[in-house]
Amino acid sequence: MTEVVIDQRAADRPQPGKRASLVVRLTRIYRTEIAIAMAIVVLLVGISFWSPYVLTWGNLANIAQAAAPLILMSLGVFLVIATSGIDLSVGSTFSLTGMVAGLCFSAALPWPVVCLISLGVGLAVGAINGGLVTVVGLAPFVVTLITYAIGASLSFVITDGHSIAIADPNFWTLNGGEMIPGITNFVLFCALAVIALECVLRKLVVGRWVFAIGSNDKAARLLGIPVHGVRFGVYVASGVAASFASLLSLSYISNSESTAGANLMLQAIAACVIGGASLFGGTGSAIGAMLGAIMITVIQNGVNLIGINSFWQGTVTGAVILVAVLIDRATKVRS
Amino acid sequence: MSAPRETQAGTNATAFVLEAKQIEKSFGATHVLRGANLRIRRGEIHALLGGNGAGKSTLIRIISGSHRLDAGSISIDGRLDPNPNAIAVVFQELALLPHLSVAENIYLPHRKCAFARLGEAACYAEARAALALVDEELAERTLDWPVAQLDLHERQFVEIARALSSGARVLLLDEPTANLTFSETERLFGILRRLAQQGISTLLVSHRMGEIRALADVCTVLRDGRSVLDRVALSDISDEAIVEAMGQKSSAVSPPAPRGAPAASARMQIVLRSPGVSLSVASGEVLGLAGAPAGPSGVIETLIGASRPAAWQITIDGIDVRFSSPAEAIRAGVGYVSGDRAEKGILATLPILDNIVAAARVADRRILASSREATAAQTALDTLSIKASSIDALPQTVSGGTQQKLLLARWLAPAPKILVLEEPTRGVDIGTKREIYAMIRDAAAAGCVVVWWSTEFTELIAVCDRVVAFDLSGQASGVLDRDELDEVSLSRATGMAA
Repeated sequence: MTEVVIDQRAADRPQPGKRASLVVRLTRIYRTEIAIAMAIVVLLVGISFWSPYVLTWGNLANIAQAAAPLILMSLGVFLVIATSGIDLSVGSTFSLTGMVAGLCFSAALPWPVVCLISLGVGLAVGAINGGLVTVVGLAPFVVTLITYAIGASLSFVITDGHSIAIADPNFWTLNGGEMIPGITNFVLFCALAVIALECVLRKLVVGRWVFAIGSNDKAARLLGIPVHGVRFGVYVASGVAASFASLLSLSYISNSESTAGANLMLQAIAACVIGGASLFGGTGSAIGAMLGAIMITVIQNGVNLIGINSFWQGTVTGAVILVAVLIDRATKVRS
Repeated sequence: MSAPRETQAGTNATAFVLEAKQIEKSFGATHVLRGANLRIRRGEIHALLGGNGAGKSTLIRIISGSHRLDAGSISIDGRLDPNPNAIAVVFQELALLPHLSVAENIYLPHRKCAFARLGEAACYAEARAALALVDEELAERTLDWPVAQLDLHERQFVEIARALSSGARVLLLDEPTANLTFSETERLFGILRRLAQQGISTLLVSHRMGEIRALADVCTVLRDGRSVLDRVALSDISDEAIVEAMGQKSSAVSPPAPRGAPAASARMQIVLRSPGVSLSVASGEVLGLAGAPAGPSGVIETLIGASRPAAWQITIDGIDVRFSSPAEAIRAGVGYVSGDRAEKGILATLPILDNIVAAARVADRRILASSREATAAQTALDTLSIKASSIDALPQTVSGGTQQKLLLARWLAPAPKILVLEEPTRGVDIGTKREIYAMIRDAAAAGCVVVWWSTEFTELIAVCDRVVAFDLSGQASGVLDRDELDEVSLSRATGMAA
């Protein structure tokens, strides 16, 4: 079932009986995340040798904007992976939400209403996933594959394959406005989402349950943890996250396309893996998932700026994931 | 059960088909085998006995080739470099491929069949012959069936056929009758006797004295990694002598402290009822459950809320109680510690802190993981003198015995009213065992009702006030009070040795 590793570095041996200070503890807990952040910096510096433009504020803002939907989607997928599940349907939820939103805009609904309806799409897909996994007891891979397939096809059916231009002049404020002066909305949303999720996972009992279920669901059940309830919840959260990501993206691009979400699912899973989560569940962090998403976006951005044929993007991303996973293994000792 | 078969006459009875001499094996600092001997003759049925921790499983793994020995030698037919197929361990169903046919399961493991060097027809015929050796009727009927369609005991026969087909001379069976009915067991024994007459030896590992006497000719008893009885004919030794030979350091476990009467307000009365049985247990009492899993697990699952419909009725202080989920049981004050910690206890990827407070979080319906939990967890570690580098370390950084203590630490606060223990000292060294016994006695002294299932008689004798014995079919066969408790009476009541 699980692949459990022991971290045997000397830094792990504080005095017995005393808990280390908060700073030391945080540094130890977030060791992987700190390493990834440093790797991103190194990557940026490396790219700048080919293209000095990469380190300008303008470009960094581009990276942030491009990363925002992926970050949100990765957070949702991470939550599911942490319970040792998987959600393949996020890609089609993304597209489907875009299409539904487009239709709603065509019907001249005010954009906050459109947002609510769109989030409802994600909620519905998540609830279907959650219900089939918990109550009916089907495997997450199979369930979300089914919803992915149906969702993807529905995205085309709804608009007959056309894309819809969004006419509402104020919708861009969802992504680009400033609810808090000085901070663009998408930055705010991502920061809030990451911090909130990380706090839930560390500080709320239900967050600890997410990891407990991913770690050993049999023991979790015997401990009285509501395994079905928590599992249902993470799939709903994943669906809603994918919908919100779609809204942000829509608000920026102002055009909804049926094929938008296709790539994002694999990238979201890749982001979680780079961020240190185990696909078997029970480990990882929201911050890690965010950093993984940022790294993938930096790679995309770098490939574009350097002028490499964009078809190579996948190869570069794959190589980076391989390196990340190998380094992760090398810094831990197998039990 | 029918009488043991007659010894073979006229064969090369002086040669041993398997000879394991002075086997030593250590895992880290733990010496599991310190000079174990095992000699099996051709065509003989040999029983291997020993208590938990005596080293039986390790010896079997070394003989079958899964583990390497540190010292000693193993020879098959006098040769030190044995054919790995000469000894076959027969598993219950783990080694069969359920979606493939019976015939394929028998012949596919052979290289010549897997790589199609021998024609399929020839392989099929070989498989048929092997299965016919085991059971003619099965060979007629089921050769083309997918293994999944066979009953458990029939799958065992397929396993045996596969072993024979790859040239096994010795069959190793580990508790083969654990899940079999009486008639299925008879069938299996018939097969083993017939094979023995044809020169195939069987090594039987079991605790069931009745079956051992019915089937085996000779026995070897392991204790603390050594063979204390080596090739003793079963007709020459009594059950008592065997059980005594297996006896595990009973002197090292001190008798429990006398029960102080708990405060009147804390006194609680629990009645456990099932058809034909009624047990009343009071606060501070340690009730033992002895016997094969079928019986005790019914009681345990009912108490912890893990089974429905419940086979047992529980009444606490006169009120009938039915737990519909483990959460309900925990909130009602039931604590549960299992020796199967990897499956049922430890959350391996979470730090020790989360492992210790897990039950309390459910019991108190906590929402926040507060810093008070950290202090409580640290206090638990100190109180129980658990050696861990910190509460933020992972459970894998401490030993198995310490992990077991962690599981007990879960129930320090809130103190449970009923503590259910399922082989809590499994795979734990003697020093930690004593510590665990002390922890449990303290819990009982504080007013808790302890229900303890153990397959080790010495444990039950040392710590329990009363023991309910379950026989091999899962029925409660009797209640033994402290003064009646000894290894022989337990062995008789449960039909098992040790």
